Amino acid sequence: MKKLSRYRLRVAAVAACLTLMCALAGTVAARVYNGALLYYLVIGAAFLAFTIGFLLRNKPTWLSATISFWSLALGLVGSFLLTADGTQPVPTMVLDALVNAVPRTLTALIPVEATPDTVGVPVFLTWLAATLACELAIRYGRTLLGCLPPTLLYAAGLYLVGPNATPVIVLTLAYCLLAAAALAVTSAPPERRPESDAAVDSAVPGRAAALAGSIFGAVLLLVAVVALAPVAARLVSTSPGDPRELVEPPQLTDIDLNPLVRIAEWAKYPDQELFKADIDADAWMRLAVLTEYDGVTWQASGDFRTAGSVLPSSGEGAFGADIEIIELGGKLVPAVADPATVTDLPIAVNLYTRALLTPDGLATGQKYHVGSDLVTVDPEAATSARPDLSDPLTIAPPLAPPEIMATIADYIRSEYDTPYEQAQGLADFFGEHYAYDAEAPSGHDLPALGFFLGNPAEAGGQRGTSEQFAASYAIIARLIGLPTRIVVGFEVPSGSSTVTAAQGQAWPEISFDGVGWVRFDPMPGEGVAPIPPEDTLEDLEEEPTPEEADDGSGGENPEDFNDDSLENDPDFTDESSEAASAVPTWAWWAAGPVLLACVPFILKARRRMRRRRRLRQGGPAARVAGAWAETINAASRAGVKATAQTNAEETAASLAPLEGDIGALPRLVNQAAFAPGSVNSADADEAARIALAFCRHCDARVRRWRRWLT
Amino acid sequence: MQDTEQTHPLQVARQAMPPLQPQQTVALSAAQAEAFATTFERLAAAVDTIVLGKPEVVRLALTAMFAEGHILLEDVPGTGKTTLARTIAAAVSGQWRRIQFTPDLLPSDVSGVTIFNQASGAFEFHPGPVFANIVIADEINRASPKTQSALLEVMEEGRVTVDGNPHSVPAPFVVVATQNPVEMDGTYRLPEAQLDRFLVKLSVGYPVEAAEIEVLRGTHQRSPDHLQPVIDTDSVAQMAEMAKHVYIADPLYTYLVALANATRQHPQVAVGVSPRGLIALTRAASVFALSKGRTYIIPEDVKALAGPVFAHRIQLAPDASMRGATGTGVVDDVFDQVPVPLPAATA
Repeated sequence: MKKLSRYRLRVAAVAACLTLMCALAGTVAARVYNGALLYYLVIGAAFLAFTIGFLLRNKPTWLSATISFWSLALGLVGSFLLTADGTQPVPTMVLDALVNAVPRTLTALIPVEATPDTVGVPVFLTWLAATLACELAIRYGRTLLGCLPPTLLYAAGLYLVGPNATPVIVLTLAYCLLAAAALAVTSAPPERRPESDAAVDSAVPGRAAALAGSIFGAVLLLVAVVALAPVAARLVSTSPGDPRELVEPPQLTDIDLNPLVRIAEWAKYPDQELFKADIDADAWMRLAVLTEYDGVTWQASGDFRTAGSVLPSSGEGAFGADIEIIELGGKLVPAVADPATVTDLPIAVNLYTRALLTPDGLATGQKYHVGSDLVTVDPEAATSARPDLSDPLTIAPPLAPPEIMATIADYIRSEYDTPYEQAQGLADFFGEHYAYDAEAPSGHDLPALGFFLGNPAEAGGQRGTSEQFAASYAIIARLIGLPTRIVVGFEVPSGSSTVTAAQGQAWPEISFDGVGWVRFDPMPGEGVAPIPPEDTLEDLEEEPTPEEADDGSGGENPEDFNDDSLENDPDFTDESSEAASAVPTWAWWAAGPVLLACVPFILKARRRMRRRRRLRQGGPAARVAGAWAETINAASRAGVKATAQTNAEETAASLAPLEGDIGALPRLVNQAAFAPGSVNSADADEAARIALAFCRHCDARVRRWRRWLT
Repeated sequence: MQDTEQTHPLQVARQAMPPLQPQQTVALSAAQAEAFATTFERLAAAVDTIVLGKPEVVRLALTAMFAEGHILLEDVPGTGKTTLARTIAAAVSGQWRRIQFTPDLLPSDVSGVTIFNQASGAFEFHPGPVFANIVIADEINRASPKTQSALLEVMEEGRVTVDGNPHSVPAPFVVVATQNPVEMDGTYRLPEAQLDRFLVKLSVGYPVEAAEIEVLRGTHQRSPDHLQPVIDTDSVAQMAEMAKHVYIADPLYTYLVALANATRQHPQVAVGVSPRGLIALTRAASVFALSKGRTYIIPEDVKALAGPVFAHRIQLAPDASMRGATGTGVVDDVFDQVPVPLPAATA
């Protein structure tokens, strides 16, 4: 009875450890979910699945599997009902959630909203891990194998979440401790150990080989850990795998891909009521942010990804805006800069530009609330700042720009010294030399911009809408060497108001290091008569350019300005050294196979250590029992399994197909088990000799791959 | 009835048996076990010369005798039950009696009667045939249950009470009963209480072909009457005493109880093995271990004897027996369920 209760305690301890491990593994992924609901769901799944497996551990596997399956189905439907918003009928909602669970979970942005689509996968995986762990560890008594499913889940969670959540050092430590505890409890089951009645130590054949194997395995493992642990840690903390790359993002229509063309339409019909806005203070609301220019159109970089009500890597969103759509079409969603939360609207976000999109398109009467961070930029700080050249997309000028652009760029470079002065100077140049014309035709490809910039006013040039102003400004600024982008948006006053098409505008922004994107306004003032630009530019052509006069002096060219300052820039040095020391991608891929390749060595070393412990340690009775256990193990690997219900002689008879000789071993093990004190060290040596010979004999019969992998 | 007490010299057997102190509680020595095994084997070999081709049955029967238990031999007529019983009796130099059970046999014909002696003017007890070391109860199930019950007291307590006066039977006392299967005509089923008093129930069975030819060849020369005793009753008593000192490891007690429990919980069983049955198995296994020259019991001993000791004590559920289940089948099932307390491979 005492042994039975010890056995039960042992099983209960292993079960408790594994349940907690499964719950922990589930919560790793739950960290990127919005709110605490998923924590409860995965912890509940782990406990339920394990409890079902544990209670049915003595029942047939099919029964346990069936009950677990139906409980999982119930659990999933329960999770769906808990997270559903009630807009769909339950069967439709459940079907939709099951069919779309994987793609929507993978495309959801962090923090993930707990919806039926996104809770299914973690709950299912946690349930699966807990069920497998219970089956392996409790039903089949293989604790080490049982630790595998939760560990895989834990590792997958860590890998997929990556740096998107706070590190889980405490959780990981707790997980390791639980795993160690579970293994420690099973490594020495007391009731399995025969009584030891004497302590006689003597050399057993194979000791050197066992030692060498153990050392080899340990060294290999140590080397792998030392070499790969920092790499693996960085892999998780810097560049996690992004499964979202595998899934197609929401598709955009023409009007959303190239929103700049909408400026002309808005300019033509300025009274069109687009939407109602109620905001806390005057602000520029953005519709789109465009960074790439291919010579024809300005487009946004990056993909739109489905997000929950809380947008990833954002602040608290203290600046609120309530918006009601009137006539604004398309899918792009107007919002104040740096949106953090969006409620009452399904949303996708472009993480590169932080522009918003609703996959189903805007509809009249739609109302939503956007909370934004509204980062205000201090223009004073920008006056002395260097341009931020870290993003090559924002500084790439188009191929073969019209000559007039290069001329204007040269002029600006010659007139102004610092980047900010150049940016402001360019804006002023536009304001002074070009005119606003609501009737101007749409178009911002290079010939159209060349026409806008260079054609005489009498021929229809030198006037346009904010489309041409912003596009030209951005391209010329890039020619000068400034990083630019174009924003399409609206100027909205504080309080409640109706935003009309007249408020729609495109404007350029320039990025300054340490400051951020600064808005520049190239539009001319009201009632200012433009000076023909050719007059100003002709002056430039007559006198030599500063570069030609003072070649190599630097300081006036923004690129030189940058170069000078970069030489002693510690940030830049850090970046370059970091880039140099980065481990190549193939190393990450190689690490997995290397670690996998270690597994057979570790298994072999573990087996050898166990064999050595069994044959060498303890009294003669313990060693005879160990020799018997080794014999049974070897036979099992060779394909002949002895059941627990067979006695020693029956077991020996059942080993006959292996054609190995275990001679006196059944007699010795009976003697050791049932007549304490009757075996001496000579008997133990004999048993060890028989067991080793039999193990070698069996090993020769085991298939090579099986010999390595078991 | 016949008295075969002879004065055959049994010095060899007595000298071979090392003396055993009555209070001895420590484990037996290997030499004692070896002497036991030698004597046991010599006795078995002597019986084997008369009962051909049945060495296992002979050894099981002798095991029961040394375990101070009674033997029930059940089989169809003509398979050598009585021959086996008589041969065992002949091989032991003690008093033996044979009772032929018939439907008109009375209890007093078994136990003895008290009659008035006119010469002495007093009542005198005349012992029945049950007063012997070995009593052969031939065809026990042909007598009425009333007469069968005359053996209940003596088999359990080793004494007979007649007219309120207890009379002890000589020690050792072994009943070797034979019976035909109950399906045969003119038989009475033994009551459960009596069945439980038999340590083992053995079936002799038909001999193998070679043994049967050998039986035919020497029918006339081979008779238990010609067998010289190889052991005396004192040695039997001494060996039975030795068997009580065989070592049983703790895990084996657990194993034995688990086996008994498994018979009680078996779906085909109405009443499982009683504690008395479990004690019987332990005693029989002890003798079996000694007969193999061991001073300790191992699971193999338990398995070898569980069938003969347990099978007749298991009462099957009515539907199970109608479907053809047997006690032996239940015992086999039980051994397939209960793990043997050996060191496991998971340690």
